[in-house]
Amino acid sequence: MKDSKLKIGEFEFNSRLIMGTGKYANFEVMNQAHEASGADVVTVALRRVNFEDKTQNILHFIDTKLTILPNTAGCYTAEEAIRTARLARELGMPDWIKLEVIGDQKTLMPDNEETLKATKILVEEGFTVLAYTNDDIVYAKKFEEAGAASVMPLGSPIGSGQGILNPNNIKIILENAKVPIIVDAGVGTASDAAIAMELGADGVLMNSGIALAKDPVRMARAMKLAVESGRLAFLAGRMPKKLYASASSPIEGNIK
Amino acid sequence: MKLIINGRGKDIDCKNVSGLLRMLSLNKDAVAVELNKNLVHRQDFDNTQLKSNDKLEIVVAVGGG
Repeated sequence: MKDSKLKIGEFEFNSRLIMGTGKYANFEVMNQAHEASGADVVTVALRRVNFEDKTQNILHFIDTKLTILPNTAGCYTAEEAIRTARLARELGMPDWIKLEVIGDQKTLMPDNEETLKATKILVEEGFTVLAYTNDDIVYAKKFEEAGAASVMPLGSPIGSGQGILNPNNIKIILENAKVPIIVDAGVGTASDAAIAMELGADGVLMNSGIALAKDPVRMARAMKLAVESGRLAFLAGRMPKKLYASASSPIEGNIK
Repeated sequence: MKLIINGRGKDIDCKNVSGLLRMLSLNKDAVAVELNKNLVHRQDFDNTQLKSNDKLEIVVAVGGG
């Protein structure tokens, strides 16, 4: 029985792995990693043009088969994020936005209050909003109620590779959610991605986990398999955990 | 006239946004522009006039997570 597609607002994708485009040694490795990962969606950021290096436009270098999800990384206020989203839309990218409003420079933890403000305004302006947040179950619901098409709780800080530190809260968010929940941030290796999917997440978003691996293309392949296997395990319905043993072989008829 | 572009003051003489992008050797299909915190739609590049002390943000898509 085939799995359903990942549906975010009006967008539909086969792959439940979303990748970033940052921190790669060069565009060739980035493209090979994207290919190996099977991702359908990749994120980009928006930055002021560097007048000394005008070759910056990454859209030129990304595989045209991929759907680009612009982000508001680097924004610390709702206003900055809203302006960034509008600029991204004007660049011709689809009408959606990974909304990131940061509250702390060291941890890159989200400012949920500003993120909620921005969500409401961007939803009103017709954007499909994917809200990056932490594992606060109250705010997760608020983003959904404000019209976010997806809520994206972090597993651990951006770029920290610490994995899923908070599975319990993510599970609770999943229980309460009516929109897709995509674990975004902190995935460091394949098992992290598998764990996120086993919890029931609809997808995983990662950048550093692949880009900073010694062999990003190989890690991209590992992540593809991890997301698929985690999803299969979730759909298969795992066995319950027990305190005591339960023999797998027959308990009678053994020789004495 | 003085324009503030991406946070830096520049002395440039140009009529409109299209002219500015041309003077900066920027491909107008690769950038998005904000004038005094308002988005300038691509179709308005030609008819959006600039005046002294206007603040512009000119952005491009880059790698990110």
